[in-house]
Amino acid sequence: MLVLSRRVGERVVVGDDVTITVLEVRGDVVRIGIDAPRSVAVHRAELLEQLESVNREAASPSDDAVASLSQALRSRPDKS
Amino acid sequence: MGAMPEIPAIELVQPLPGFPEMRRFALVQVDDDGLLCELRSLEDESLRFLVMSPVPFFPDYAPEVSDEVVEELQITSSGDVIVLLVLNAGTSLATTTANLMAPVVVNTATLRGLQVILDDPTLPLAAPLVA
Repeated sequence: MLVLSRRVGERVVVGDDVTITVLEVRGDVVRIGIDAPRSVAVHRAELLEQLESVNREAASPSDDAVASLSQALRSRPDKS
Repeated sequence: MGAMPEIPAIELVQPLPGFPEMRRFALVQVDDDGLLCELRSLEDESLRFLVMSPVPFFPDYAPEVSDEVVEELQITSSGDVIVLLVLNAGTSLATTTANLMAPVVVNTATLRGLQVILDDPTLPLAAPLVA
């Protein structure tokens, strides 16, 4: 891993078109700004990991699970 | 309320997190009401995700998507857009959860779709359909 020290307002450039700016440092919270093209997805790492895991759990439910859910939806009391 | 159209082929502009190889899905109705649907992979027939409209269970849900998403999906009219919640199926409504943090947004005009990660930390990844 490359480790750099930067001050507030200073930037790091990654590749040709990604720029990361240190905006603010307060205690143990660092605010950073990221300029990247739309094709580059930028996400908080822990959120993306949680989403991957939720997606995997949701993937390919059994036919039985689908049938019971479908039945539960049909018979819900507040059906409109 | 909340019935979805069937769409033979949707191209994801970015894959679903966790499923990097899968780009093309069909939206297929699972029940007669068109309420419960699935996104069925066109590349791996064993892969599917249950989805439904937010309207029946989360009527106040109004996700705001960024300009980048609007551009990426080439959205020109909000009337073209459908929002799908990915469900994690339980055996009842109370044990079935919906992902409100990351809905799949589809532009029915361009047939492009994307699982949008909304910039709102209060939205849950797993909200029970009924409390």
